[in-house]
Amino acid sequence: MNNYAWLIKREFWENRAIWVIPSIIGIVMLLGVLFGRIQFMNLGTLQQSHVVGQMVLSAFGATFFVVMSIYSTWYLLDCLYGDRKDRSVLFWKSLPISDTTTVLSKLLVALIVIPLVYFVAADITTLLAAFILSVRSSGALGGAMWHGDLWLQLQILWLYVIVTTAIWFLPVAGWLMVISAWAKRAVMLWSILPPLALYLGEHLFMRTHFIATQLADRLMGYGPRAFHTGADSNFWMTTTFDNDQITTPSSLWALLNPAGFFSSPQTWIGAAVGAALVVAAIQLRLRRTEI
Amino acid sequence: MPALIEARDLTKKYGSFVALDRANFTIQSGRIVGLIGPNGAGKTSALRAILGLTAYEGQLQVLGREPFRERAQLMNDACFIADVAVMPSWLRVDQAIDFVAGVHPRFRRDRALGLLAKTQITGSRRIRELSKGMKTQVHLALTMAIDARLLVLDEPTLGLDILARRSFYDALVDDYMDESRTILITTHQVEEVENLLTDVMFIDKGRIVLDCSVEEIAARYAAVTVAADDIDAARAAKPFFERRTLGKTILYFEQPSTQALARFGEVHTPSVSDLFVAKLSGGVQ
Repeated sequence: MNNYAWLIKREFWENRAIWVIPSIIGIVMLLGVLFGRIQFMNLGTLQQSHVVGQMVLSAFGATFFVVMSIYSTWYLLDCLYGDRKDRSVLFWKSLPISDTTTVLSKLLVALIVIPLVYFVAADITTLLAAFILSVRSSGALGGAMWHGDLWLQLQILWLYVIVTTAIWFLPVAGWLMVISAWAKRAVMLWSILPPLALYLGEHLFMRTHFIATQLADRLMGYGPRAFHTGADSNFWMTTTFDNDQITTPSSLWALLNPAGFFSSPQTWIGAAVGAALVVAAIQLRLRRTEI
Repeated sequence: MPALIEARDLTKKYGSFVALDRANFTIQSGRIVGLIGPNGAGKTSALRAILGLTAYEGQLQVLGREPFRERAQLMNDACFIADVAVMPSWLRVDQAIDFVAGVHPRFRRDRALGLLAKTQITGSRRIRELSKGMKTQVHLALTMAIDARLLVLDEPTLGLDILARRSFYDALVDDYMDESRTILITTHQVEEVENLLTDVMFIDKGRIVLDCSVEEIAARYAAVTVAADDIDAARAAKPFFERRTLGKTILYFEQPSTQALARFGEVHTPSVSDLFVAKLSGGVQ
């Protein structure tokens, strides 16, 4: 366990972007909140206030999450490739740490540690933003930011998304690590070309689209499985603002669908494929020392 | 006492290229062994196999372990410097010390700090900011602070200037080497290491062509500087190599009788580098 702690620390030393990027996002957002123009809506009812607070908080969170997804992809592609490219892998391999431990520590950083860093950064940013907004708008909008139940829901939502994306995207992470441990150059290209070739091959020679369907489902299918998407009135509510009607989830966790996610065979088939790819990445790491 | 390293029919292929071809060798504890060969002879493949960095065929035991299967455990008792340029460039010197101290049970921080205190290097420097010689000093300080039984060095001074090379080898012999330790070193610059070696292994085309201690060389090989008149008589004694230099001819003999050779001229023991040239050139030059 001690080795894992050191290996995670080492990833923070090497990849300062893990905390620098979310810090920059937070600072930019706070500058926007400090100096941007604020639309002073008329928030007469509690429901209106609630909905606005919910939209602002989830917009902040979503921004962090999108950037995090892009960064994590890059991190996974580089994590077993960079030290082979500069040959520092020979230094790391001179230490009594197994390749299994090394690969798993990097997987852990990509799927759990980086999301937790972004979670914390998003929380700090939203707290400060709520404070600034409530001072600047002195009243209605400020009040909308301070619903305690919203904050609790936001924490649960983040943790739910971190756990479910880690499971759902394990095969994607495993694939990126295989490429990172194997490719001699152009990791980005290699990560895309084989699936594309498989898709085209199947399309041209078999006239079927099994692979394309599977790939598309893996990349797009997370939302429909982890969240309710139906129009069921339990999940949605409509709020009237002056002349507009806005439909929003009835709460930040109304749409969570853990039962659906964890009972979907696709979730566990994907996890098994992901585990196999991680094992493959470990085997490659054992054998491929240099470019 | 069992041998520290024992290789039987050690073979490594890259596709159709055979880098190690059923190599057999044994390395005993407490020795400084030079693995010497021309470029592409299989030196690095042999070291990679010994360090568990590559899969191989044949049998190999290092400190009683199978290196490829048990690299992590092996690295508790063995350490290596692959060459000078492999410290990660983004790492700070104090982070490097913290990390190795954190993960290596036999690392002695005070010893590493003591070695670095003799240099101009401060802990807050990043590896990328250091000169090549300084990088070597950092790597050497980290490695020499590990109480390991086996130290493997692969072309450790590649790209270093003459001063840095000298101080590298001085530190190795003065500060590090003792009876409990074994050093295996590869280089293609034989002159640089021949004075510190206790044993030599010559490797050529993936095979071990000579494996003996430096003292044994005197018993097994002789070189004779022969005057022009005696050349034909001397050649009849079957030298395995002949070299002409500055108008003189030097003949090399294996398993020689010194008295018999003294008739042809001055007899001396060849240096490791001369023997290397003689053994690997093959025939008359």
